[in-house]
Amino acid sequence: MSPIPIDAAALLTGLRCILPEILVVATAIFVLFVDLMIPEENKRILCGISLIGVVISLFSVFLLGPARISGFSGAVVHDGLGAFFEIVILAACALTLLMATGYSEWEGTHKGEFYSLLLLSTSGMMFMAKGTDLMTVFLGLETLSIPIYVLVGFHRHRMSSIEGALKYFLLGAFASGFFLYGVALMYAATGTTKIPALAAMLLDARLAANPVFLAGVGLLLVGLAFKVSLVPFHMWTPDAYEGAPTVVTAFMSAAVKAAAFAALIRVLLLTFGGLQPVMWKVLWALSVLTMTVGNLSALLQDNVKRMLAYSSIAHAGYVLVGLVSGDFLGGQAALFYLLVYAFMNIGAFGVVILIAQKEDEGYDIRNLAGIGFKYPALGAFLTLFLVSLGGIPPTAGFVGKFYLFSAAVKNGYIWLAVLGVLNSAASIYYYLRLVVYMYMVPAEGEMPVPRPSRLAFSAALFASGAAVLLLGIFPGSALDLAARSVLSLLM
Amino acid sequence: MMEPAAYLLLSGILFGIGVVGVVARKNALIILMSVEIMLNGVNVAFIAVGSHLGDVTGSVFAFMVMTVAAAEAAVGLAILIAIYRLKETIDITELNVLKW
Amino acid sequence: MTGPADLIFYFVAALTVASAILVATLPNIIYSAVALLFSFAGVAGLYVFVSADFLAATQVLVYVGGILILILFAVFLSNRISTVKISNPVHFNWQAALLCLALFGVLSYTAVSTKFPVKPGLSYQPTTAEIGELLMTRYLLPFEVASVLLLAALIGAALLSRPEGEKERSADMEEPK
Repeated sequence: MSPIPIDAAALLTGLRCILPEILVVATAIFVLFVDLMIPEENKRILCGISLIGVVISLFSVFLLGPARISGFSGAVVHDGLGAFFEIVILAACALTLLMATGYSEWEGTHKGEFYSLLLLSTSGMMFMAKGTDLMTVFLGLETLSIPIYVLVGFHRHRMSSIEGALKYFLLGAFASGFFLYGVALMYAATGTTKIPALAAMLLDARLAANPVFLAGVGLLLVGLAFKVSLVPFHMWTPDAYEGAPTVVTAFMSAAVKAAAFAALIRVLLLTFGGLQPVMWKVLWALSVLTMTVGNLSALLQDNVKRMLAYSSIAHAGYVLVGLVSGDFLGGQAALFYLLVYAFMNIGAFGVVILIAQKEDEGYDIRNLAGIGFKYPALGAFLTLFLVSLGGIPPTAGFVGKFYLFSAAVKNGYIWLAVLGVLNSAASIYYYLRLVVYMYMVPAEGEMPVPRPSRLAFSAALFASGAAVLLLGIFPGSALDLAARSVLSLLM
Repeated sequence: MMEPAAYLLLSGILFGIGVVGVVARKNALIILMSVEIMLNGVNVAFIAVGSHLGDVTGSVFAFMVMTVAAAEAAVGLAILIAIYRLKETIDITELNVLKW
Repeated sequence: MTGPADLIFYFVAALTVASAILVATLPNIIYSAVALLFSFAGVAGLYVFVSADFLAATQVLVYVGGILILILFAVFLSNRISTVKISNPVHFNWQAALLCLALFGVLSYTAVSTKFPVKPGLSYQPTTAEIGELLMTRYLLPFEVASVLLLAALIGAALLSRPEGEKERSADMEEPK
């Protein structure tokens, strides 16, 4: 048997293409080893090491630039879209790590496994965002999900945490089955699992009418819809979000969503040419359902964490508004919104972590009463993030929604935009309800004392707050970046 | 050698049985077993199509699916054991700290 | 034309489907697990029919030898053998039935309506070497990502299931012997 010939140059190109992922995985393994060697009281170092790894990885993304590098026989590509989502995912991971320093001390999650699972999940997300072969996308999806199942159940002595993990796991595995069957049917119809090849074949109208292929696309969509929690595939979201350690919830809501949308955008924008006539109706319905059900359910919640969980469902619906038209403008708006959403949602969860003293009990809305004047910094931050989530100027949330809805209008989906705006208006009610509690409702009895913020934690809040304001007032460069990313995909 | 359509039909049936199991049963272990049946259905489709086309991609994909199925089973059972330690049940209807 | 090979195919397919149905409907978990064994074995048999020798072996090793054993472990850990009532009824609901009927309809329609290009008869050749070579070349990246995934699963499973710490020690004492 002859040895397998190795193409060293191609291998090097491939390694360059996945450099940011390699750095993250290497950090995860390094953290595991350091964890063995340091005593219990020094575990904070692990968080620092992880953070350094993530920052270096982020740096390498900028180093690689927007140039298109394809590697590993077309299994993965570093292009504008991949780079954009890597920035979103790594930023979300860095913010989560900053908040985890304090959180881990309060809740006892200072364990090497926590950080290395977080990093492994991040690497899975990045592979998913960059995968151009559905095999890579699938493996990225699973590498993302499995650590998250564990992280949701990290507080395994708390029933709600481990139960959230079970529900997320069962529905996640179920969703993976749908995703895979979708890929299998697409493979049966075309004989390939590479996304660009599928897109090229779709130019032939016969394929777009092939029932096997259509069923495949549908099942694939269902699988991804579970991951981004679109209604009616959202039933796991509130439980998993509420049960998970709150830093993990923040991470999930921002990063998992971004990664799954990255795959969705890559598949949708490339296959849209052939599928547009059917696809826009499906996406239209999903988008409207998701926004409406998410917002209506959020209106009824008294638990802040659960309310934010439902609101995150609604936000997935807004992002989908941008994808209905499947064109450049909508794609750009969706990308920008996902970036903004990561900052404002992680920020909101961050303040909520500080105000709630204990998992499970501290998240009742009444706990917020009177906080605003007694702790002005916390009140101001939470107000800023909520105002942005509600889409009120001058915050980034407003700019994001403005571009999403105006893209819908420009493409002639007037009703979609109208429903989106109505939903957005309804959401302002429950976001402002929290603000009202903070500033206008007097505390009953003893006011809870927020946790003393750590330097790192404050840094995370400041960074998110600054991002929300800056992207709100000067959105230009981020919008340009999003535009270039979408263009790099379409070309 | 049968027609590939026969295999595709068979894989669809297996997948469907798995879905029925997940939706209709309340015991977490049975749900997990049903998911495994779904994944087996997926693999039948991949391998049958791949071998019909003379393309190994299908086999490699099925190989990856098996890897992932094993990893999922390990993590899922770890979660179940953790739950069982706390509550001595794995019937998901009896787990109602959070609303289902 | 129905040859002996076809008859065997029908037999294996029927075995697979019947045991899968049993898994999803039997009230006793242990019976379900045993039925799952037959279903997995049947699928391995199907792979032999389409000349996927490597996958057939892997199916037996991974599913029957690995996953099924894990599941049996969990069954026995979570059910005291003394309490014989390991049953749990099937909850029938209309939504589930409708959903599944719709799914069956779509899937079988797509399967039957597909026109596959007619190819010369399948040649039964070993595929192991080719798969191995492709895993090291064309599919190197998925192969490596799968290793990252297995690492994550390893850490996660160990983390969730190992007993540790004073606080949790007491809970572990109550485990079934």
